[in-house]
Amino acid sequence: MLSYLRKRIIASALPLVVVVIGVFALARMTGNPAALYLPLNATETMREEFAARNGLDQPILVQMAQYFGGILRLDFGTSLRTGQDAAEMALRAFPATLQLAATTMVIAILLAVVVGSAAAMKPNGILDRCSSFISMTAASIPDFWLAIVGIWVFAITLGWVPTSGVVGAAAWFLPVATLVMRPFGTLVQVIRGAMVSALSEPYIKLARSKGATEYRVIGQHALRNAAAPGLTVAGDLTVGLVNGAVVVETIFGWPGIGKLMIDSILQRDFAVLQACVLLTAVAIFVLNILIDLGYALLDPRVRPSAGARKRRKARAAQGPTQGSDQHTPQLAAASMAAQSPRGN
Amino acid sequence: MHNRITRSRRIPLALAASALLGTTALSGCSVANSQEAASGGSSAPSDTLRVVLQQEPPTLEACESNLTSTGVVIRSTITEPLIERNPTSGELEPKLATEWSSKDDKTWTLKLREGVKFHDGSEFTAADAVATIDRAVNSKLGCNVEGYVFGDDDLKLKEVDDFTVEVTAAKKDPILPLRLSFLEVVPAETSATEKVREPIGTGPYKLDDWQAGQSINASAFADYWGEAPQFQKANYQWRSEGSVRAAMITSGEADIATGLSPEDNIGDLGVSYPNNETVALRMHADKAPFDDIRIRRAVNYAIDKESIVASLYGGRDKAAAQLVPSGVVGHSDSLPVWPYDPQKAKDLVAEAKAAGTDVSAPINLVVRTAQFPKIQELAQVIQEQLTQAGLTVNLKMLETSQHLTYQVRPFPTKEDGAIMLMTQHGNQAGDAAFTVDQYMTTKGAQSAFGTPELDQLIATADASTGDDRQAAFEKVFKYQNDEVVQFAHIAHQTGMLGISKSVAYQPNSSSGDELRLAEVTAAK
Amino acid sequence: MATLEQAAPPVKAAKAKDGRVTMFTMLRRDRFATVAAVFLALVVVTAIFGPVVMGERATEQNLMFMNKAPFDPANGWLYILGSDSLGRSVLARMVVATQTTLLVAVPAVLVALIVGSLWGVWAGYHRGRREAVSMRIADIIMSFPSLLLAVVVLFVFTPSAANIVLILAITRIPIYLRTARAESAELQSRTFVDAARTFGAKPNAIIGRHVIPVVTPTLLTLATLEFCFVMLAESSLSFLGIGIQPPDVSWGLMVAQGRQYLQTAWWLSILPGLAIVLTAVAANILAAWMRIATDPAQRWRLELDRKSTRAFEKATRQAAKMKAKKGNDS
Repeated sequence: MLSYLRKRIIASALPLVVVVIGVFALARMTGNPAALYLPLNATETMREEFAARNGLDQPILVQMAQYFGGILRLDFGTSLRTGQDAAEMALRAFPATLQLAATTMVIAILLAVVVGSAAAMKPNGILDRCSSFISMTAASIPDFWLAIVGIWVFAITLGWVPTSGVVGAAAWFLPVATLVMRPFGTLVQVIRGAMVSALSEPYIKLARSKGATEYRVIGQHALRNAAAPGLTVAGDLTVGLVNGAVVVETIFGWPGIGKLMIDSILQRDFAVLQACVLLTAVAIFVLNILIDLGYALLDPRVRPSAGARKRRKARAAQGPTQGSDQHTPQLAAASMAAQSPRGN
Repeated sequence: MHNRITRSRRIPLALAASALLGTTALSGCSVANSQEAASGGSSAPSDTLRVVLQQEPPTLEACESNLTSTGVVIRSTITEPLIERNPTSGELEPKLATEWSSKDDKTWTLKLREGVKFHDGSEFTAADAVATIDRAVNSKLGCNVEGYVFGDDDLKLKEVDDFTVEVTAAKKDPILPLRLSFLEVVPAETSATEKVREPIGTGPYKLDDWQAGQSINASAFADYWGEAPQFQKANYQWRSEGSVRAAMITSGEADIATGLSPEDNIGDLGVSYPNNETVALRMHADKAPFDDIRIRRAVNYAIDKESIVASLYGGRDKAAAQLVPSGVVGHSDSLPVWPYDPQKAKDLVAEAKAAGTDVSAPINLVVRTAQFPKIQELAQVIQEQLTQAGLTVNLKMLETSQHLTYQVRPFPTKEDGAIMLMTQHGNQAGDAAFTVDQYMTTKGAQSAFGTPELDQLIATADASTGDDRQAAFEKVFKYQNDEVVQFAHIAHQTGMLGISKSVAYQPNSSSGDELRLAEVTAAK
Repeated sequence: MATLEQAAPPVKAAKAKDGRVTMFTMLRRDRFATVAAVFLALVVVTAIFGPVVMGERATEQNLMFMNKAPFDPANGWLYILGSDSLGRSVLARMVVATQTTLLVAVPAVLVALIVGSLWGVWAGYHRGRREAVSMRIADIIMSFPSLLLAVVVLFVFTPSAANIVLILAITRIPIYLRTARAESAELQSRTFVDAARTFGAKPNAIIGRHVIPVVTPTLLTLATLEFCFVMLAESSLSFLGIGIQPPDVSWGLMVAQGRQYLQTAWWLSILPGLAIVLTAVAANILAAWMRIATDPAQRWRLELDRKSTRAFEKATRQAAKMKAKKGNDS
């Protein structure tokens, strides 16, 4: 496990550099930002002075070398817009986003697992239909509708929560409620679909006929097998939230990194953009490592242990083995007793 | 055997889950880096004035005060200028300078006010005034106010005594005091090599702290030289979404909100005011069809300004005949708005076509998204009205940075067809020179073209004073409309503030650039 | 004691000549799926014929008729869905917008789906270095701010539907890539794949015949969920002016433009948004139905008629209860 972690961390270094170089180059393809930061009637001299002051008049490779040199000294540049340290701005905004993302995903995952499993137990039944419809709608609604309608209903009409801002526990309600809809809806669909497939596997019938309670069947047998797609999609949704929920941050004035990134793109604030992307990229890589570990925890067959590949090759050389086989029901019953994927 | 393996796998999972939940809970339901501000929420003590802005100021550096988002917080609230322009009367009034005079319009002598203290307790003297001007205009800081107001020329400064200063311009400049009104005074010790985010000034409020990303807090300055403001504390927040700013006023979470419009559902709590901004179309005459003055006149005839103002802007805006609104030196009330005559427009286009101009050459209407409310609708209406006159118009909606490549020189040259830029110009200074020099001279930064005659008229106007100046600039605008026709003016705009029932404030034309908190009082 | 054998023999649906139940019949069995399919067909027809029929009316401005509320018969049938901020008929604009919306959303989803899935399945099958490199590339794409990519591409090249499709497709590939890989990696160690390999089948054949059919249902579910997300992403781009340009119109652009009027003229944003939601939900329902119809273990739900399905389910439940009781007793 640890060697795997070490390998992954080393393997993530190169993509990180690629991302930074990519953002660096793409950002500078958008032209000279002087016009955004100088008054409109600034003279040519002033524009040149601006470019010189910010190192923008150098060839791009020189700029890149200077930037990487700066990174080694932990200097990520200064914001063109505010003059503050770019890394400081990014680091200040990121925790707020992380908190929002974590809370949203925990709630979404818990709710989705419960609702998705319940729906999968009887496909096309009443609960399935209702939950499908609700979750599909939840996943499709534009987030700013929810936000603005939510403010109108809960803050202005009912007065239960503040309209916006970050002060007080009540201020979390509307942003989280708005953000939770899409992950919840998406995950219900994915989990339900995967559970329906998992529940039609032969080993489920075996588990049931052995007398396992329905909860055990679902929680221990079916859910673990349905976890892979659920985990991937949950991971992707979390990545989306880590990149910042821009609409929520804009509407509720949440000081997160999403709006900071969008603003720095639109205002060509290169240093801040690069710092933000670097930070979120690191977070995303860490998240993906955690997800891969999650796969391995939940499903031993996916474990990337060194011996596994050799063992598989050896087994293949031996000939057809016993084990579950989707297309031969006769074998299934016999092999179940020998090799059930999960203990009981 | 299986049981043991299962259990050992369960434990790490459980640990991970509880760790995740734990960190979320432990953060105590408070957002990272936030602080329970005493003045947040609707239970604020009534001695705090709560203002909600459209965006966080990028900096509060005094020499960037002409940036709207900076100036709206600091100008005449935290810092003060030597001379202040009265937005209603247009007159220059004493602030930190009590009198000023010049014999030759080149060297000005200013007498400074005595007994003024900075927020850090030090006395205001001529040294501070000199240092302020020097750092803003002469230094290498690259202050925004330098480019906006002063240009490349430096000012020669002399400290005559503790309360007298002499300022000498590079050439004759009758409006130097007006230019000086943009400079907010800071102590002499302020760094001249680095910009200062949180300034020390002489204003009625002093800056307490700035929660980056969240709010700015200020409190009344006990030793203020003038009349003490009514509210002891002030708190600034920002929300980009207009309807949320309006909602904060409606729900009592804020007292004043800037940058609103009726669509934000502000209702009766919205107060509109003329805000110095004018919208116009600038036609580049270097390519067909705009190289023919008949087409440029046709554009002016084809646009129904009154109907636009009435239907899109609820009658609040005013159809425009020139680039500066009333209250600005050089504005003429008698200059007629170009009449709406669609038939004449069609006739002019036909006439131009007959004379050999390529009237089917595409016109690129370049518009900046979200520059002001309903800009997309305005652009589409104009496109429709020009199309009916027989012209071909392509709409190009661009984001700010791209739009700026069309707005200032050097202009793009590889466009397919002529450029027509929708521009919004705000004259904060109150003098037409600031507009005309940029927009109408042959080489002006935002001027697509000019003529030698117009340049001559402008040079004369720049050097005039008093009533002559007013008349000279009126002549410039009239000449533009009659002979040059670079612009098709559309409307003088209005802004809207949201003002809650618990405070009283009368906005004026500079409220968008300079929100003077000292003028806000509690409602009876 | 009810047993499976004693339950009323299930009545199979009428068979086609070749003895198999047709997809069409299975579709009819599921009422929701039928409604969804009809709705989607209607959308496609509108997309094809809409601009021809309503093209003119969608661009007629009328400054005296702005922001009129919907569902007011006094305004005539053309304005039954209200008028927008320039007096144009919302109904006409929505009809014309259908074509642009589908022309952007469908190719974007399809390209991302096909490229991402094939790549992911291939990477998950081979494991090792190919998988690692693919995953790192996915990481790179995911960390890249999609807006920056959009701004740059649409800055260097002009905004056009093709460029928007390209950007939306590229930024959504990682999700299919990762899901396909995860499922493929899990399957690859299963016996039937092992067996096929032992029998000498080539990797591509194994992937095509064994892995893809198992992986498809999840990916299809994902694709239909992404369909909606892509339409909303296009809405955000249009809001910034780098998506669909006026006078072209798409549902996303209408939603974005109506955003500022949400409290005073709600129909400008809500109605096109409803169109997006309904289309996405219909696609989802159809995908869910297809998942059951193509899964051999679940098809029976659609092959039997309703009465028999209920009887069958009831009998199964009772049998299971009996067995459980028996198990507890002994």
